[in-house]
Amino acid sequence: MNSGPTIFLGLFATMACSWTGFVLAPQLQLGGLAQTNTVVVGDALSQTYPLAQPGEASAGAEVYRANGCASCHTQMVRPGNLGSDLQRGWGLRRSLAEDYLFEPRVLLGSQRVGPDLANFARRSDLKAVLMRLYNPRLIIHDSLMPPHRFLFETRKIGFFPSTNALVLPDKDAPPDGYEVVPRPEARALAAYLLSLRQDGYLFESPPPQSLWPKTNAVPKKAAAK
Amino acid sequence: MSAMVFPAPKPAPAPPPWQQPGAKDSCPAGILMLLAGAALWLLAASLCGLAVSLKFHAPGFLASEGYLTYGRLRAAQNAAFLYGFGVPSAVGLGLWFFCRLGRATVAGPVVVAIGATLWHGAVALGVAAILCGKTTGFDYFEMPVWCARVLMLAFLLLGVCALLTFHQRDPGPLYPSQWFVVGSLFWFPWIFSTAVLVLLVVPERGALQALTAWWYAYNFDNVFLGFTGLASAFYFIPKLIGRPLHSHYLAALAFWTLALFGSCGGIPNGAPLPSWIISLAVVGTVLTAVPLLAVAANFYQTVYKDLNAMDADPALRFTYVGLIFWLIAGAQQIAGALPQVSALTDFTWFGAAQKELFHYGFFALTVFGALYYIVPRLLGLENSAWRPKLLKIHFYSSFLGVLICYVALLVTGLEQGILLASPGNSFTDVLRRTMFPLRMSTLGDLLVAGGACIFLLNLAGVLSKACCRCRAERKERA
Amino acid sequence: MNPDAPKPTDLQNGPEPVAERRTVPAWLILLFGLLIYWGSVFLAENAGGFARDVYRPYHSSDDVASANPQDPEAKRRALGRQVFEKTCIACHQATGLGKEGTAPPLVGSEWVLAPGGDRIARIVLNGLTGPINVKGQDWNLTMLAWRDTFSDDEIAAVLTYVRSSWGNNAGPIKPELVKAARAEKHQGNETSEELLKISVQ
Repeated sequence: MNSGPTIFLGLFATMACSWTGFVLAPQLQLGGLAQTNTVVVGDALSQTYPLAQPGEASAGAEVYRANGCASCHTQMVRPGNLGSDLQRGWGLRRSLAEDYLFEPRVLLGSQRVGPDLANFARRSDLKAVLMRLYNPRLIIHDSLMPPHRFLFETRKIGFFPSTNALVLPDKDAPPDGYEVVPRPEARALAAYLLSLRQDGYLFESPPPQSLWPKTNAVPKKAAAK
Repeated sequence: MSAMVFPAPKPAPAPPPWQQPGAKDSCPAGILMLLAGAALWLLAASLCGLAVSLKFHAPGFLASEGYLTYGRLRAAQNAAFLYGFGVPSAVGLGLWFFCRLGRATVAGPVVVAIGATLWHGAVALGVAAILCGKTTGFDYFEMPVWCARVLMLAFLLLGVCALLTFHQRDPGPLYPSQWFVVGSLFWFPWIFSTAVLVLLVVPERGALQALTAWWYAYNFDNVFLGFTGLASAFYFIPKLIGRPLHSHYLAALAFWTLALFGSCGGIPNGAPLPSWIISLAVVGTVLTAVPLLAVAANFYQTVYKDLNAMDADPALRFTYVGLIFWLIAGAQQIAGALPQVSALTDFTWFGAAQKELFHYGFFALTVFGALYYIVPRLLGLENSAWRPKLLKIHFYSSFLGVLICYVALLVTGLEQGILLASPGNSFTDVLRRTMFPLRMSTLGDLLVAGGACIFLLNLAGVLSKACCRCRAERKERA
Repeated sequence: MNPDAPKPTDLQNGPEPVAERRTVPAWLILLFGLLIYWGSVFLAENAGGFARDVYRPYHSSDDVASANPQDPEAKRRALGRQVFEKTCIACHQATGLGKEGTAPPLVGSEWVLAPGGDRIARIVLNGLTGPINVKGQDWNLTMLAWRDTFSDDEIAAVLTYVRSSWGNNAGPIKPELVKAARAEKHQGNETSEELLKISVQ
């Protein structure tokens, strides 16, 4: 342990172990992940999964990233034996590597100051999302989530009020003749949040037996004559 | 009696050139810039942390513009601490240990000064960019890509100087602190460049990005910061109590096992990755028990015969308290990695508490312990240059601050985890029930920020003393 | 404070620390060994064979496969294909279209696609002679009996295969149906008139 080169070689070998195990090998194994088919459930047809992120949602992902939303929210559902995520209705199944295939910047987060967002689209809609972004305390009176008013604009009403103006209670309402309208960033972020869903069972996380198709036979009516 | 405590006297070696009066060949300015800048960044990070903590009392606090919204401020706090305080203090300490233990002078002092300026400038621009929304979104790796490239260049300059300084050392056995410094300065460029390449330049597909980000964060903490703090502990504790380190081989075991196992881990048990990756991480983290115990045994055997000596030097308290916090944080990390425990504690404040203890408890305190010794000597002064009262207040403020913050967040995390385990408790309910301990942590953040402030005051005092001395010497010579 | 103890300043300006050469305690080595053992057991149980498709809580690729909806018909179809390609293909051809003077087509044949498999099960078991009308065309050939060559499972499999290949889209045939037909112990080959009397609902 007195020779510099020995120490360097030893450190190199140790770092190589860690790097190989956690950077190289996973890349070799998962780097080639491609779209796959969902497992057939009941009468449903098998579908391609995952689907690419719609354009506005990609822009919204940038807003999500820029405002550090990942510091309070995770985007991964844990398996049933490692927490109550599934029982809480946060997802149909646990999250898999396949779910994040088409996200350019994967922000899984590492802490839940707020709830998990992996399947947020299943439990919210546009109006609710925009209200929550504007002032979370309108939805939950003692929410810790910061208001994102800077994503909205208070402007004078034109000839007609905007269709996407927020409907706010009196104490938050803008002065007479003004309306609160989401900026493009807010709309993009809402589109992103409403695209977050992990539908369809995959091979790695199959459906429970109660959802298995009863038989693979084609129903009698469909038999060709 | 004194013969037992004080090792057999060796002829005192000649003080290094920069300690000789009027010496000009080794410019300590570079190391000083790194360390003083680091102290300033720690204050900035602590203030960000305080602001972030206040938002838990009033989420609308500072939220009118996007610049200071929670997400951006939290990212800025992280970046300021890790890249503003963490890396420069690691490099500065490393350079100093190389000079001291190798009896050499800094190689390329001007390059070090340039590297230090470049680094601090890049971090400042990076933090500003983060507040403007350019954060990468990855925890521990918030700097935008252009900033990361400049940081890489600055580190290269500093690293090459450090390597040459190490190379110029006096021949002879290496002391454990030197191995740890070599380790930390070797590790950082590798993990940082991997992260830059794989997350920003040519992004990996899907969940692999998260994997690399977690791997980077774990390595940054356990190996890079851990090695630096341990180097400081291994140097100052035996030296300032006048006893030899108990076992060279225990230190070697700790070094290699921490390098191997402290680099394999950090993946949450519920991550969307195949189970082999997660299992490897769990095994790696649990095996860090070996370096933890090796270090604990080593220091216990070194000091237990004369515990009073630990309190003789007021600045030594920072170092050994920091070390104890390292042991606690390490034990907590091991517990949190086990699947049964992580089912409760993953993604709660439990992990945040551990990181808080590791960063502000272990790393910051150990670095302060080193700074109290190093800074006067860079300026040709002695420990007496510090104002002892301020030092004492700084210690208690930081120590209590970290303790309060840690206990508060730990209680919040455990309560949150246990309550969330039953799906009947809605997330909002759990939040309400854990609000009180969470808000208590603000007191801890306040004390930590206060401590950093006091240190800077003390530092200013020391710098002005050095300036006065310099001016007086110039007058004498004139 | 010990009056003989050196002053802090003496230590601060004193010699550099040294490390004594004492061996690592045995208990630590033992613990290290135990942890390595624990780690290997943990990996053996939980690493899922380092496979790409094994996620917690599953322990192996086989576990995951068995947790997925099973497709028993797939196995039967595969066996049926094997049987077909060993024997039936010679006359009924690989395309199932049959050949003039050799065998009638199976593709789109109303005999094959009838809802119940009672008639075709008897054809394969007992063979067929005499005139038969398939898809509007008259055929008059002889097919051998296969009851002594193939088991109930195999015959059910090949019938399932024929009913679900080349665009045919009829349900699978169960081995029990073939067994019941075999139990009739029909002597000699079947004829078209006999078969048409049997219900295929």
